[in-house]
Amino acid sequence: MRALAAVALLLAAALPSAAGELAVEAQVGYFDMAAKDSARALFGSSSGATFGGAVRYTVWRGAFVSAGLRTFSKDGERVFLLSPGGAIQKLGFPVSVELQPVLLMAGYRLHDGQLIVPYAAIGAAITSYTETSTVAGESFDTDGSKTGFVGAAGVEFGRGLLRVGAEVGYSTVSGVVGLAGVSQIYGEDDIGGFHVVGKVALAFSLGGKPKPAKPQPKPAKPKP
Amino acid sequence: MLQRTAVAAAVALTAAGSLLPLNAEDLVPRASGETSQNMTIAPGAFREGEVIVAFRDGVDEAEMERVLRSGRASGARRSRFGPRVLAQLEPGVSVAEAVDRFAAMPVVAWAEPNGLVWVEQATTFAPNDTFYRFQWNLKQVGAERTWGIQKGVSTVAVAVLDTGVAFEDYTDPRTGQVFRKAPDWGDTRFVPGYDFFNDDAHPNDDRNHGTHVASTIAEGTNNALGLAGLAFGCAIMPVKVLGANGVGTFFALADGIDYAITYTENGQRPVKVINLSLSSSGFNQTVKSAIDRAVAAGVLVVAAAGNNGASSVNFPADQANVVGVGALNAAKQKAWYSNTGPELDLVAPGGDCDRDDDGDGTGDCVYQQTLRSSSVQAGRYDDFGYFGLQGTSMATPHVSAAAALLFSQGFTDVASVRAALEKTAERLGGAPAGGRNDTFGYGLIQPAAALPGYGFNVGTKK
Repeated sequence: MRALAAVALLLAAALPSAAGELAVEAQVGYFDMAAKDSARALFGSSSGATFGGAVRYTVWRGAFVSAGLRTFSKDGERVFLLSPGGAIQKLGFPVSVELQPVLLMAGYRLHDGQLIVPYAAIGAAITSYTETSTVAGESFDTDGSKTGFVGAAGVEFGRGLLRVGAEVGYSTVSGVVGLAGVSQIYGEDDIGGFHVVGKVALAFSLGGKPKPAKPQPKPAKPKP
Repeated sequence: MLQRTAVAAAVALTAAGSLLPLNAEDLVPRASGETSQNMTIAPGAFREGEVIVAFRDGVDEAEMERVLRSGRASGARRSRFGPRVLAQLEPGVSVAEAVDRFAAMPVVAWAEPNGLVWVEQATTFAPNDTFYRFQWNLKQVGAERTWGIQKGVSTVAVAVLDTGVAFEDYTDPRTGQVFRKAPDWGDTRFVPGYDFFNDDAHPNDDRNHGTHVASTIAEGTNNALGLAGLAFGCAIMPVKVLGANGVGTFFALADGIDYAITYTENGQRPVKVINLSLSSSGFNQTVKSAIDRAVAAGVLVVAAAGNNGASSVNFPADQANVVGVGALNAAKQKAWYSNTGPELDLVAPGGDCDRDDDGDGTGDCVYQQTLRSSSVQAGRYDDFGYFGLQGTSMATPHVSAAAALLFSQGFTDVASVRAALEKTAERLGGAPAGGRNDTFGYGLIQPAAALPGYGFNVGTKK
């Protein structure tokens, strides 16, 4: 609700700008899993590098839609623990987890067409989860996919073909994990998390050139 | 100093039944030796010198031959089921080079390396010990899959508090009595123990019970000799607290526990598990206090439920911080003699020598190396064989061995080891998932299910 309110505020405060801009973005940054305790137990930390890309299209004034894919993975070892506060006993069997959220968002860019463009967006995070582990030839694999929510805000610099930017956001995707293993012990069922990414964008205009401002009629000279 | 004859409050040994010799003439050794199946094929691996070439429909034999020759194939095998051949490449031609060359030809639909496929089979380990096939008990606890994961490490020791263990060649200077090391220990390491019955550092077995129990844990395995032990890579600490008549005192037992938990090597305490294949009908605070110290020191205490066929578990297996173990026969039924009750935690193979449920032609005792009973009665401690025993005494070392394997894998916490064994035990007698009943406790141990621990969203497998 807060995110929606924030977006509504941004829309209200927006300046008019051109539609029809398509941008292709490459993203690299940092992701911190919401299921922190489970991640720390298995991987030693809950965060790491994330990579991805997105396509953004400005549909009307500063309003845009975007579709993106990011990937995040962690490697560690299987553990045993009795309870959330219990000793974490590392057992030496490798385990890997990979998250791949498809982020479908709609948002608004303030001052579109200016040198510095703040923006905010919300949308759906369709996140696939893959866990692989082998213990002496036996696979302990699982996967799944669920749709959750994502909200992000960022700023983009530049007004030409090449832009750079930074974005922070948070996603929440429940129901894939927390069914077994350490995530069940910790009661953590969210495979979303916090992200901060830097991005490089190539922006193209698809015909929606901003119209030149209408020349104002010169004031009539007073007749002598 | 305690004398053998000065037995005060008695701790009754639970071993029941007679020794049944496993007659070597009646037994057939395994034909094969080690049968560990460990697939180590790298992802994307393929056969060198071969390429699969799939032709487009309508390509005739002559054209195929021309293509194969120009692709530098020295021979080919055509599939009976379609226009594809397995091309044998000339020496010096790489698979990548050949794939590129064939794929560029218009009549070729595709060309690719002859990749490898393999069975998805968990690693198991079947030892080559001569009489291993008579160890139904090890199969019942999933030993071969367990060994595929963990065989035990020698830095983890199980203290066997019993009648002693035939672990050394030794002549007692006081009595001139000769003790011999049992022949089938393989590479098993012995941590220095103690004889609290005779107050010396030579806890040799003068009965046969302790050697049998210790052999269930760590008899030499995969040495083409005799029988196997469940945690054969782990070490044994022999601690003698019972005399030749199978009876000891609470005082000696408590001292034995304290010895085991305070012994250090290079600053480390090797004993992670104490095996008590013994029981008593009465509570004793001295022993209880020693057990509390053991558990507080990170040592798991495992004890026999007792062989009275009663509906209560004997001391000390009835204590909440002790894993109380009952016995099964080869049909996974409660052994007739095994005590039951709310204090029972787990069951393991204890045997029933009067049955042959596994149909191998011998009674379903638990067979291990130990001293020959008739020789012991004649005062000789140098004559060994492979003998069967039954009792909760025999079930208990299976659980101790399983716990030692978990410690070997990286478990460090007593409560975790216990919980892992209980969670993954095979429920019997209608016990609900995650629950227990008084006949089987949490069920039959399955260490192979406990060893893998947890993944992020994958728990243990049953």
